[in-house]
Amino acid sequence: MVKKLKTNDKHINKLARLLTGPNAILYHKEDLLAYDCDGFTIHKHLPRAVVFPKNTEEVAKIVQYCAKHQLPFLARGAGTGLSGGATPLNNEVIISLVRMKKLISLDVENRRAVVEPGYINLKLTNSISDKGYYYAPDPSSQYACTIGGNVAENAGGAHCLKYGVTTNHILGLEVVLPNGEIIHLGNDGIPDTPGYDLIGLITGSEGTLGIVTKITVRILKNPEEKQTVLAYFDDVEDGSRAVSDIISTGIVPAAMEMMDKTAIEAVEAAAFPVGHPKDIEAVLLIEVDGISAGIEEQITDILNVCTSRNVREVKVAESEQERARWWANRKTGFGAMGAISPDYLVQDGVIPRSRLPEVLSRINQISEESGLRIANIFHAGDGNLHPLVLFDANKPGDTEKALEAGSACLKVCADVGGTITGEHGVGIEKIEEMRFVFSDSEINAQTEVREVFNPDNLLNAGKLFPSPGRCGEVKKAMKAVIS
Amino acid sequence: MSLKEMIKDPTCTTKSLTNYKWKEHPDEEKWADCVHCGLCLEACPTYEITGQEQHSPRGRVHLIKSVAEGKLEVNERFMDPVFTCLDCRACETACPADVQVGGLIEEARGQIRQAMPLSGWKGMVSKVFLEGLFPYHNRLNKLGSLLGIYQKSGMQKAVRKTGLMKVMPQHLVDMEAVMPKVNPPARKKYKNQEVIKAKNESKQEVAFLTGCIMDVMFSDINESTINVLTRNGSDVTIPKNQTCCGALHVHAGNRETGRKLAKQNIEAFKDADTVVVNSAGCGCMLQDYPELFREEPEWQEKAEQFSKKVQDISKYLYDTGYETPSTPLNKRITYHDACHLAHGQNVREEPRDLLINIPGVEMVHMPNADRCCGSAGIYNITNPEMAGAVLESKMENVPEDVEMISMGNPGCMLQMAMGVEKYGRNQKIVHTVQVLDWAYKQDDEQKERGVPDG
Repeated sequence: MVKKLKTNDKHINKLARLLTGPNAILYHKEDLLAYDCDGFTIHKHLPRAVVFPKNTEEVAKIVQYCAKHQLPFLARGAGTGLSGGATPLNNEVIISLVRMKKLISLDVENRRAVVEPGYINLKLTNSISDKGYYYAPDPSSQYACTIGGNVAENAGGAHCLKYGVTTNHILGLEVVLPNGEIIHLGNDGIPDTPGYDLIGLITGSEGTLGIVTKITVRILKNPEEKQTVLAYFDDVEDGSRAVSDIISTGIVPAAMEMMDKTAIEAVEAAAFPVGHPKDIEAVLLIEVDGISAGIEEQITDILNVCTSRNVREVKVAESEQERARWWANRKTGFGAMGAISPDYLVQDGVIPRSRLPEVLSRINQISEESGLRIANIFHAGDGNLHPLVLFDANKPGDTEKALEAGSACLKVCADVGGTITGEHGVGIEKIEEMRFVFSDSEINAQTEVREVFNPDNLLNAGKLFPSPGRCGEVKKAMKAVIS
Repeated sequence: MSLKEMIKDPTCTTKSLTNYKWKEHPDEEKWADCVHCGLCLEACPTYEITGQEQHSPRGRVHLIKSVAEGKLEVNERFMDPVFTCLDCRACETACPADVQVGGLIEEARGQIRQAMPLSGWKGMVSKVFLEGLFPYHNRLNKLGSLLGIYQKSGMQKAVRKTGLMKVMPQHLVDMEAVMPKVNPPARKKYKNQEVIKAKNESKQEVAFLTGCIMDVMFSDINESTINVLTRNGSDVTIPKNQTCCGALHVHAGNRETGRKLAKQNIEAFKDADTVVVNSAGCGCMLQDYPELFREEPEWQEKAEQFSKKVQDISKYLYDTGYETPSTPLNKRITYHDACHLAHGQNVREEPRDLLINIPGVEMVHMPNADRCCGSAGIYNITNPEMAGAVLESKMENVPEDVEMISMGNPGCMLQMAMGVEKYGRNQKIVHTVQVLDWAYKQDDEQKERGVPDG
């Protein structure tokens, strides 16, 4: 017999009966408050409840219930997303997938693993590294973020330059559709199945098409060798020319990261400083990996390029510890902003690599005009720029200014032929900026796809696409009014 | 809170939105650093077990901030996440922005305890133990002697045969089962000795905090600490007026008593240049004293000076140099990082170094060695269920084939001993400094027997 919960909300009691785990539903304000946003903190809203299903069947039951009673709902992993994708704008029932965190199977021979959506990204690599394998997509939040969330956002990471983003590593999905039906996509990792690429469609759909409950991922063999280079430049332009030059030599580094002066100030003031000089304009972190033969030559080429671009100092990591320190310093870069600013807003533009100096100078201008500092962390190799707008939400007007400055940065990216998100997703944050890159009809085409999966728009509504562009829905609403 | 209540409550210190109405608000500076990135989640044992974000560091910081913003009241539901925290500070190690979550939690607990003083059974337990026992070493000693009598007189055997164990809560029964054999405390033994002289040439003088649990339950570890210190050229003093460090009080939200004890210790150790501690929890608390005096600048300065003198025994030996034992000990040992050593004091390599340098010691790696064991002061008494779950996940990481688990904190030792008992393991639980002391004793025996070194 299920104990009746202390609430007048009849749905809460009914939802609770669909769940079998201990304390599997939260509904008190004090508990819900921890779920009022994700890593994007500008918009906050309380959910109706948070439920913790144990398996796919429980997810399906919850979804069926929500669909039947027209309750808005959404899925959440670790809540490390940076665009508000897991924020319950419509008082949603949050379906937390963190208790579904098993590594279901590992098939080394066919280089694949099956995980539940709450499985932590880095745990996968850690649990197979002794067998000589790893999972390539490495978002900086990989210490905490879930693979389910990675699929929703099509997460990238520093090493995606060479190995591709999440979508390149997903071989199969089990998905609970917004009506509660369970479907399986991908034929156990057999590539190139005929028909539409639905895995590709679901991956990166930001939780608007279905809830992923099982994921088959590709695992890779550890590279035979790895070398990491750190290079300091007095001039950002020199640094970015070096990036282009390295790619031009034919080397595809595993990763090529850049931080500007303000970003360096933050990481050096935070928990993992490595002693970057305070007065340099840019630091480049470059990693090459692969079979041992040829790595030395690649490093020599990289050092030569850096020298030709007036590098002040350049060094190769001498030990695994040193490499790990450099990466910890870089990967905690966003959180490190806390050390120099009460709040930050991270943007996620993509630009053609060659336009970097120009883009940085325009971002600098935006910073001056808004009176807010902007730090830049850059996946330089693939042109994915992260301007971090620093502000203080307690200062009246600061949040609005930060949002405007962030949007202006994205406009610059779009204007130079880039786009508004490389890996963080659109979520709530970049909804309006979608218009920088899509026309109304392009947006409509996409919302019509959403309608096929999510016809009542109960699942994660108000995300990804701006609403006035949803002509189809407007028409439908008008029809309803007329009839 | 109604106006009437507010008038009734003279300690109300602010008229802003905040729902913290009592002395010592949680420090805004501390949560201002949190940008909600969530990298702390996986580091948190209570999040690992519940999967719920109100039981994660980020969630707790968010709730603590929300009370200050007037969005939440200081009530039972706020209390739950704040008191479910183990205060292990693993989140502080993980945090890119160095947010001091532990300090915030303790300050929030201070508010909760002022808002909702403990009453009934819990209130009594807290009064008897935290306020009536720990601050008074003579009372602790008496309890220790009683424990000794209990164990030696056959009473322990008798009690175990009675039905008493059946009616006691399980976690207390488990604890009773692993209670160490009690010896006379070091403070008593050396009470007439101003200075315990270094065995050979004296290089420096250190003051030693004997701790309360340590001295009553594990006085042999204190004995080992003194042996190791004097053998390595330190004159050791045990300042008479020293008292309990106050960690248990501060963890429980009783900051007033914490401050009282802190002041007494700061005074007691004022002539010392170095204060050596062998209990991670105490050492961390002593180093955190300045936090207690945010509203008393004069004492804060004294506390700052004091806290800089405090060092864990392993770090002290590592930094000042120590004799490497020469007789092989031939043991397979794994090391558990006490939270308040690893996360609280950033002491990780030093104790491992001590162990590795003993010949014949084979160090076996423990995965997630710096994961909390669930002891967390008196957490295992106040939150037995969660402590049990945390312990279970800890024990899964203890390698099967080791003979000893070494660590630097008495609370962990009791908890890990319970783990060994409960999960049918057979490791001996030891303090790092004990292992070194045993190695020295072996050297001495060899020497007596006239066997040449090596």
